[in-house]
Amino acid sequence: MKGFVSFFNKELRELVRTGRLLLLVILGVIFGVMNPAVAKLTPWLMEQMADTLEGTGLMVTSYTVTAADSWTQFFKNSPMGLMIVLILFSGAFTNEYAKGTLVPLLTKGLSRGSMAAAKTAMLLGAWSGFYWLTFGITYAYTAYFWDNSVVSHLAFAAFGYWLMGVFLLCVTVFVSSFATSSGQVLVVTGCVYGMMVLLGLWGKFARYLPTFLTDSASLLSGVTQPSDVFPALVVTAALSLALLLLSIPLTAKRKL
Amino acid sequence: MDILELIGVTKRFGSKEVLRGVSLTVPERCVFGFVGRNGAGKTTAMKCVLGLLRPDGGEIRVCGERVTYGGTRTNRFVGYLPDVPEFYGYMNASEYMTLCGRITGMKPAAIRERIAELLELVGLKDEHHRIGGYSRGMKQRLGIAQALINRPRLLICDEPTSALDPVGRREILDILAAAKEQTSVLFSTHILTDVERICDHVAFLEGGRIAIEGTIDEIKGLRADTAVEILPEHPADLIRLQEAFPGAVIREGKIALANASGETARALLRFIVEQEISVLRFERQEPTLEDLFMEVVGQ
Repeated sequence: MKGFVSFFNKELRELVRTGRLLLLVILGVIFGVMNPAVAKLTPWLMEQMADTLEGTGLMVTSYTVTAADSWTQFFKNSPMGLMIVLILFSGAFTNEYAKGTLVPLLTKGLSRGSMAAAKTAMLLGAWSGFYWLTFGITYAYTAYFWDNSVVSHLAFAAFGYWLMGVFLLCVTVFVSSFATSSGQVLVVTGCVYGMMVLLGLWGKFARYLPTFLTDSASLLSGVTQPSDVFPALVVTAALSLALLLLSIPLTAKRKL
Repeated sequence: MDILELIGVTKRFGSKEVLRGVSLTVPERCVFGFVGRNGAGKTTAMKCVLGLLRPDGGEIRVCGERVTYGGTRTNRFVGYLPDVPEFYGYMNASEYMTLCGRITGMKPAAIRERIAELLELVGLKDEHHRIGGYSRGMKQRLGIAQALINRPRLLICDEPTSALDPVGRREILDILAAAKEQTSVLFSTHILTDVERICDHVAFLEGGRIAIEGTIDEIKGLRADTAVEILPEHPADLIRLQEAFPGAVIREGKIALANASGETARALLRFIVEQEISVLRFERQEPTLEDLFMEVVGQ
């Protein structure tokens, strides 16, 4: 436990001193403000572009913005946020393996399990902090401008996307237990996501896949109910846990 | 008790057999020089001791406990300085040392005390800026300090002086010699003058085996062929000396007698006195480790 706490402290210090925390906070605030702002500005933008659009044969009629537009923006931008987090932390393990910074600490009795657990906690913490900060700001502005109650199952949908992010971070932890560079981690994680999307095209599987959690639009509009998404939720959580557990023996046996 | 024992340790990487039954013993309170060519397997052997590599065969014991691969319990007795130590550039020395101390489970007060002591020892007491701006020599010095934080009984240093300038090298050697008061030191190197300067034991690793092992005196004694070199004032005396001692070789105005035992040296001195040869220099040359090393590696 002392190993975990000491190493987690080191991870936090790294987060602060390398400027990643600041970057995440700034991006979180920008994303959070942008979602309702874009929704708010949509009618005005439409008006501005009306002439051009008319030229292409599109007619612009008046459009009433609701909370749903703001949340549509939120879920549209979340993949971008997730991608930033994945890229930012893709080298969390591999950079240390490559540079050899872990060797002095591991030979002092830090267990590899504590090291990996502390890093995983930091990754999940960074993702959660960033995601819920964005969510909170979007929620507050949306509540201020419109009425959040027009969208259904908002918290559930948001939780679903968060869990999807947790899953992909667990994939990076797993891949990091044998990959030698952050590039490899990103490519393999990307491939896993791509595979999920492809499998999702096959109707039967779709509702059991982590990618099913990204279909927030159906939840918000009430087309799907939380009970429909539940299997995907369970599968995603189980897969995430399995990946973390699988990475333990791989990390333990990794050659340094 | 012996601090470190290697018994018939073997390790191969693919088809390359790096260690072919390495056996050596490091006693308590000594500086042990682990000598070998680049690529001889010094680092591999050390990583096996640290449990960073799994040996294919043989046994390693640290303080009597068997070393296991992966979660290596015996590392609590060991401090390690890698050949190119890498630290977190965003920390300063004392922050890094605190991290190390916490990981080894030391109490905060003990950590503070030990850090002050060690940073003084390695001359980094007044460095407050981040490790990112450190020179190589400073990193090596911090490397020794972090390795010593939990008062290990064995300090393992992998080529600590190889990449340093003469000043940096001397500093590291002085620190290692001082560290001997607290711990046994096993350090690998291919710089033989470093070994002669601070080691009291030495082992030569060649072809995956320990070719020679022993105290410096024992090893030097292996080659009793101490040479005697004489520089007479008058070159004509060179011939007289050579006639009296047929094995002697004349070179550049000097005469050298290889394999000269103490008896031969005394005979030479007697001859010089009796023949009233005036001599500018009479020198007995101890065999250097380098001669021995060259012999071992067959060059």
